[in-house]
Order: sequence, then structure tokens, then C-alpha cells
Amino acid sequence: MKELVNLEDLWKIYPVGPGVQALKGVNLRITEGEYLAIMGPSGSGKSTMLNLLGCLDRPTRGRYRLGDQDVSTLSDNELSEVRNRRIGFVFQSFNLIQQLTVVENIEVPLFYRGLPRRLRHPRSREMADMVGLGDRLYHKPAELSGGQQQRVALARALVNEPLILLADEPTGNLDTHTSNEIMVLLDELHSRGRTIIMVTHESHVAVHAERAIHMRDGQIESDTDADAENLGRHT
Amino acid sequence: MRAVHKVKDILLLGLHSLSVHKVRSTLTALGIFIGVCGVIAMLAINEGASAEAQRTLRALGSTNIIIMSRKPPQDDSKATGRTRGALNYGLTKRDETRITGGSVPYVRRHATIHQTKKMAYLAGKNLSVSVIATEPLIAEIVRIDVLAGRFITSVDMLRRKPHCVIMAPLARSLFGYENPLGKTVRIGGEPLVVVGMLSRLPQALVGEGAEATDSVIIPRTTGMDRFGELIVEARTGSRTFERVEISRIILQMEEEKDVLAAAPIIRSLLERNHDQEDYDVKVPLELIEQKKKQMFLWNVMLVTIASVSLLVGGIGIMNIMLATVVERTREIGVRRAMGAKQWDIIAQFLVESVTLTTVGGVIGIAAGVCLPWMIQRYLQFPTETSGWTILLPFLMAVTVGLISGIYPAVRAARLDPIAALRHE
Repeated sequence: MKELVNLEDLWKIYPVGPGVQALKGVNLRITEGEYLAIMGPSGSGKSTMLNLLGCLDRPTRGRYRLGDQDVSTLSDNELSEVRNRRIGFVFQSFNLIQQLTVVENIEVPLFYRGLPRRLRHPRSREMADMVGLGDRLYHKPAELSGGQQQRVALARALVNEPLILLADEPTGNLDTHTSNEIMVLLDELHSRGRTIIMVTHESHVAVHAERAIHMRDGQIESDTDADAENLGRHT
Repeated sequence: MRAVHKVKDILLLGLHSLSVHKVRSTLTALGIFIGVCGVIAMLAINEGASAEAQRTLRALGSTNIIIMSRKPPQDDSKATGRTRGALNYGLTKRDETRITGGSVPYVRRHATIHQTKKMAYLAGKNLSVSVIATEPLIAEIVRIDVLAGRFITSVDMLRRKPHCVIMAPLARSLFGYENPLGKTVRIGGEPLVVVGMLSRLPQALVGEGAEATDSVIIPRTTGMDRFGELIVEARTGSRTFERVEISRIILQMEEEKDVLAAAPIIRSLLERNHDQEDYDVKVPLELIEQKKKQMFLWNVMLVTIASVSLLVGGIGIMNIMLATVVERTREIGVRRAMGAKQWDIIAQFLVESVTLTTVGGVIGIAAGVCLPWMIQRYLQFPTETSGWTILLPFLMAVTVGLISGIYPAVRAARLDPIAALRHE
């Protein structure tokens, strides 16, 4: 299997006071098609980890390879391009743009990719159909339920065929029933070969993932796949 | 190709977010609208007024210098002698010779005018008229529009004919709808035959304080014979007698530039020979230049006021845009996460502020063009709208939009995407 993510001795130090060490030398490899849950208490560094994986931030030290590219030293513009083409984000609070319709929200990543309107629209409809919102194309987010909004966010995250899907507490704002709906959708995406990295603190959500890492104090405390790693499966 | 869609899309995006906040956008654009409209209208009024003044001055002839007699301030100790109770003042034949005899360069030709007030009498009608005794040559120096008949000729002059040319409005009040040509009218008791009728007479010929419309032009020689140089002014209960040899000398110079060279020479020549200020040298070109300078200063002032009002509008825009950026922090974070570059965010917000000012500016132009038109139409005040008076305020407005938009837009683009995404 192809290796998609390779973190080598990744450090993140925030220059606050004496310097807050949010990540202390993290090593992690993720292969194509994996479904990984990052768990840990608040302050463990899992958010920092997600920001770095999502190329929203740069590590203080260490290397991050995404696909065939070292993204740890890219410029702001280059990072924007990486986020646009290689990463799909799903957030806890959906983060849809309120004044845009469903189709327009899904189109946003295509827009920044520079695709003309006539190509964006059919692609965006296709994605809306995929998440079962083909009949809500011209609704505003406020007119949708939480579950529907999160499905729009999923469609938006996948519209550019990213390498990895990053989900930050994707069910945190949803009730049990809708949570399940979203988790089923994620499972389905996984079964179709999507690489998914999910941050969560809920273990019943994490069980959907095939691999889970636990973080504490900026380091990986445990990795369900660690034995395999020690055996050199990924080297 | 890719860049082209993007520009278009970002433009549409900006318009879209403006349309979401209609009231706010309208109010913000209103500030710019008022600024642009006001400046265009003010400039149009100023341009119109000064163009009108320049036209009047130009009618005096820009290659001409007009020297006129002026009654000196009443100061008996200084007054020149009185002969038989008449006050002598003003330009003399000797002045004429001095000026036109060669000491002043570039003089092409000249004509003198003697003007008196007389009563015109015809079939029981009595009208006060200004009698302008001059030379036929005057028609070549200033523009004279003959409506019917002819102007006075050198034959009239040589033969001292009792001929006169009258202004159309005067002819109308004397003769009604009859053809005045060939008819005799008594002016100052002297019978004069009307040989021509004029539709227009430049103010230079009539002088200040007289109406061109009630003027009668006679040959200079005829005037000398019949009326002399004495100007009798009758007031209730008393009469004043004044003796003026020449009321006005109109000099025509070779070229416009000669006017400015000759004017000081004439002034010093007269100053040396007159012991009081009983004359006035009027140089239309100088006055035109003065007017132009004055207008320029006015324009500078108006544009400055405009800049202030547009500055206020610009601050309004900046204020709104800063509020918008704060309000939309989360959206900016989302867009950044989805791959928007800093430049995309800057462009998005700049489009909004520039659109606001452009829309305000365009409507301002429309209103700014209509307003002077209405002033001209309903208040009969001359206005003039030209390309630059429209373009300048508009460009200023767009620049204000750009400048006041840059800071909020850059601030939006510089937001940390992570912090922006967490913004509540």
C-alpha cells in the first residue's frame, strides 16, 4: 500500500511565554485507505496534530510528507494549494457559509481551484447527490438539519478528490441518531478506499476506525497499529 | 484562462455579499454618491460661471485695449479747470495722438468714441438714448452685427452726413413694426436719417453704465458738428455740464501677445500726462487671464472640499469593511481551509469596497450631470459639464474605495486560519 502521510520527529512549539510545547517529536505513518482515529484528552496535542496534518499550520521542527511532497516548509500560498487539492476538512460545527446555498457551499473548493462555473456546477450537484441532498441544492444551511449540514460539509470536503479526509469531531454537534448516519457515511467512504483521519474523544465513534492512536502531552501514547509498525510493515 | 474565471468569479462573489446586506451597502454607497454628485455639480456651476464671464470678456476682443474716460472723484482742489462752468476731464485728442502716434508698438488700428445722452423724439415719443459718435473703422475692431441696412461708412464720415444706425430694440420702441430704414428721427433736436439697424453691440462700444439696447451710432464728424463735446446731464432741478473730448479709445493690437506688452506702456504714458485718475485702461486679455486664474483657484478649492467629503465617505467604507471582516471571520477561516490564498481574500473584500464606491460614483455622475442641467434649465444659471469634471471625482471615488478597502482586506487575509475557524 502507498504511504500517504509520514510525520518524522514533528515538533510544534507556540511562542507563548517560555514556549508551549504542543507536539514533542511525533512520528506517524498513514497508508492509503486507512481509517485512523486520533484520541486524547484536551491539551494532549490532538488539535495541533490535526492543524499540522491539515496544512493549516507549519511544524516548528521535523518533517511532514504528504503524498510525494514535503509540506513542512511550504509558503502560505503553497499550503493553500495543498489544502485545496489534497485535503478535505469536516468540522464539528459544520462551518458552512451561511449566505451560500448547498450547491454554492460545495463549490467553494472548486472555486479556489479555479474551475469555471460551468464545470463547477455539475460536479457540485453530483456530490450533493452522493450525500443524499440532491433535492436540497438551493437551500441555505439555516434551512437544513444538523445532519444534513454535516453531509453538505462532507460533500464539500470530497469535491476535489483529496488524498486525505480530516474530520474534527464530526459528530460532536449531532444527536445519536444523526451521528450514526454520519458514521455510516464515513464507513461507506472508507470501504470505497478513502483515507480518513478523525479526531474524537468519544470511544463509540472511534470504534468505527480501524486504527486509533491516543495522545498525551504532545506525544503518541499508544497506537493500535504499533505492533505492526514495529514489525516493519510500513518500512 | 484560469485567472479570467477567477477574476470574474471573485467579482460575482463580492457583488453577492453586497446584495446580502442591501441597506448597509446602500447607505455606504450614499456617502460616495453625495460626494461625487456634489463635486460634479459644483465644478459645473463654477465652470459655467467662468465660461460665461470669459465669453463676455472675449466679446470685448482679446487683441483689444480699451482706454476710457472716467469722471474723477469729486475733489475741487484737484479738478482740472472749468470752462464756462463745465467740468473738463478724460481723454483728449492729444492722448490719442500720443498713443497712436508711434510710441506704443504693435497698434494695428484704433477708433475713438464720443458718447452722450440725448433725447430721441419721434411722433410724440420721447426716449433717452446714448449717442455713440464713432468711426466706421470700429466695425473692424469689434464685432458688430448689422440686422438691416448698413453701418456708417467713410462717406458718411467725410460728408458729415446726418445719418444714424440704431439698435433693433430701440427701433422697435420708436417705430413699432414699421421699417425704420430711411426714416428720420430727431435726436437731441437734430434730424437724423436711419440707415441701418443692429442686432448686437459689444459692451466695449457702449461703455459701462449704459445699455447697448438704446444706442444710436452716428459718424464722429457729424457728432462733432451737431452736439460738440459738451455732455449735459440734466437732473431734477439742476444740470451738470461736463466736457469730454474722447469717451473711449479702442486699440486693436497685431496679436494677442502684444496686448500684454503694450498695456503697461499705455498706462505709463497716460499717467505722465494726467494729473488725476480720469481714465481707465481695460485689457480684456488680462481680465480673461485673471478670470482663468480665479477659476483655477476655485476649482482647486472645490476639489479640496470634495476630497474631504470623499475622505469621510472613505472612512465610512473602511469602517463598514472592518466590521464586515470581523463579522465574517469564520467564513474567512473556512475559505482559507478550503484553499483560498491570501490574495483571494484580499481580492474578495477589495471588490466589495470598490464596487460600493463605483456604484456610488456612477449614480453620483448621473445625478451630478442632471443637477447642473436642472439649475441651468430652471434657474437660468449657466453651467458647464466637461469630461474632466466628471472623470476626476469618479476616479477619486474609486481610489477612495481602493485605499479604504485595502486595510480591512489585508487584515482579513492575514487572519490565522486556525484562529479564524474557531472564531465565534
